[in-house]
Amino acid sequence: MARLLVVDDEREIRRLYADELEDQGYEVETAGTGAEAAQLLENREFDLVVLDIQMRGESGLQILQNIIQERKEMPVILCTAFGSYKEDFSSWLADAYVVKSSDLTELKQEIRRLLEKRK
Amino acid sequence: MEPSCCWHKEQIGPEECPFIRDANADLLLNRKNRVLQYCLECPRFMEDVRRLRKDPDSLAEILPYLMEDLQELRIRNRLLNGQVEVRNREIKFLHEVSLVLQTSMDVDEVIAMALTAVTAGEGFGLNRAILLLVDKERQNLKGHFAVGPRRREDAARIWKELEEKNHSLRELAQTFFEMKMSAEKARFQDLLEKLSVPLSRSNHLFVRTLNEQKSSHVQDLYMEPDIDPGQVEALEVHEMILVPLISRNRRIGLLMADNIINGQPITTDDLHSLETFALPVSFAIERAALYERLQEELTKLTDANRRLKEQQEIILRMEKMALVGKITSNIAHSIRNPLTIIGGFARTLIKNTPPDDSKRHYIESIIGEAKRLEEVLQEVLNYSESLHPTFDLWDVNQLITGVYVALQDDFERNGMECRLDLDSTLPPVRLDYKKMTYCLRSIINNSLEAMPRGGTLEIRTLRSDDELLILLSDSGPGMGPETIKGITSPFFSTKDIGSGLGLSLCARILEGHGAGFTIRSTEGRGSTFQISLKLSMEEEQHGPLAGSGR
Repeated sequence: MARLLVVDDEREIRRLYADELEDQGYEVETAGTGAEAAQLLENREFDLVVLDIQMRGESGLQILQNIIQERKEMPVILCTAFGSYKEDFSSWLADAYVVKSSDLTELKQEIRRLLEKRK
Repeated sequence: MEPSCCWHKEQIGPEECPFIRDANADLLLNRKNRVLQYCLECPRFMEDVRRLRKDPDSLAEILPYLMEDLQELRIRNRLLNGQVEVRNREIKFLHEVSLVLQTSMDVDEVIAMALTAVTAGEGFGLNRAILLLVDKERQNLKGHFAVGPRRREDAARIWKELEEKNHSLRELAQTFFEMKMSAEKARFQDLLEKLSVPLSRSNHLFVRTLNEQKSSHVQDLYMEPDIDPGQVEALEVHEMILVPLISRNRRIGLLMADNIINGQPITTDDLHSLETFALPVSFAIERAALYERLQEELTKLTDANRRLKEQQEIILRMEKMALVGKITSNIAHSIRNPLTIIGGFARTLIKNTPPDDSKRHYIESIIGEAKRLEEVLQEVLNYSESLHPTFDLWDVNQLITGVYVALQDDFERNGMECRLDLDSTLPPVRLDYKKMTYCLRSIINNSLEAMPRGGTLEIRTLRSDDELLILLSDSGPGMGPETIKGITSPFFSTKDIGSGLGLSLCARILEGHGAGFTIRSTEGRGSTFQISLKLSMEEEQHGPLAGSGR
């Protein structure tokens, strides 16, 4: 069973994602800050990270850079509230982008695609 | 002795002197003037003088001495008068020429005037004048212009034309300048090309005359050793004068003149007159050339200023747009999250609601409305992004200058000397300025990190066929082939600091632009990064002066 890490500063979003993704059969852990995410990543192996690009107080992109620096093989999906990810090219390092939406179909598709690709 | 004529009378009648006509009838009443003007040359008066000389006491014996002297003085007087008249004409002519020379700011007009003056009958009246000018850039004494008939047939036609029109010198030069200048230039093109000499050939007659700043009068060009036989053949003339044009010790050129058509010998007077004339011509040519350069610079500056203003306006507009975009984005972001949560949980909820549940209708409504709001939000965001497109026609030089200015602190901190060598004639190129800026910064950062103890970085732009090249050369330690290969693949870095993502990202961005990216480097000798951007037809049409971005 694939283990996913969801990083978002909004508690309800974390809960929504966790509910929906667990429903898909994934094991999901969540983090509300970059530090929390780093700690979780250090202690456990994850197959994929879902990351919010804009978080209060810190940039998702910085977290992305740190993740990639240490775990080059692990896929990362960036969730953005709008198209501004285009403005910073560091975001290009992500494996996929998903525009945040109440309809999680796209996110689920991307997760499936990336995990299959890894096999 | 009885006088045989009327010279002794105070007044005479018209029938008494056969020489006096009605026009000077007043002489009939004025004995003194009559004697001086007519009697002294009248044979009957001379006869009387001869007869008077027979009288030993007569003073008439010394009269012939006085008469002889008077005649001589008269002849000399006439000669001098003639010369004065010629000089007067010359002064008037020089005055007319110098007026044009002083007021004209156009090199070609000055030259047309000067050469017309040398060849016009009213001026120096030489058959042909040729002007060579110093081309400082090419270190050449270059055939620039010639005036005069090319062949005998030409001569007859041109002189007839001039005679018929009877123009003043100024009109002559003006007509010539306006109507014939380019045609004349073409007519003499082959001759002018043959006469060009590199300034390094200091022994050549032309260069020597110019360097010694002393005019020369060559009697026979065919016997002259310091001129190329091909040039003599092209000139087709034996005798020629060469006058150097010097302005404040600067070599301007060489004025040559000859009588190729009528073969009349050239006098020392001709040479002296031409020497005098050479001085104002030199000044005028130099001044006009300076003025032209000044005009060019002024046009360039005005143009640069205009472009700067345009750019400033664009930047200002973009800043405003960016602000609008930012506000919209922020609002959208704060709405998006709650919307996602509302709609998302509604979707979770509906999955666990049986089809016949009466609440299902309400949940569907929540999902539908949330979706609608999300769509509106997306539209607003798309619009705010479209307000400031980053993919457009941009001036690459300006982009580089922008990056350079932004990184100046880093250069200083690292002790790095950064030089820009930008071709100002490049057309704008269609590119994403943000991405390109990122690329340039990545490459420069790479160089900065490779040279922690300072060094030099040179950024050049140039055009090569249908490509615009950006070259960044550093004096860093350089890289081996393996490093170069690796540096553009992701996550590679030979550096302890930095992520090493920069250049691999760079390669991806440039690939997306359809641009080439090559790195040339030798270990120990620095690296050169080359970005080649394709120019399309559209960019060609914009030309170098078009503004960038819109």
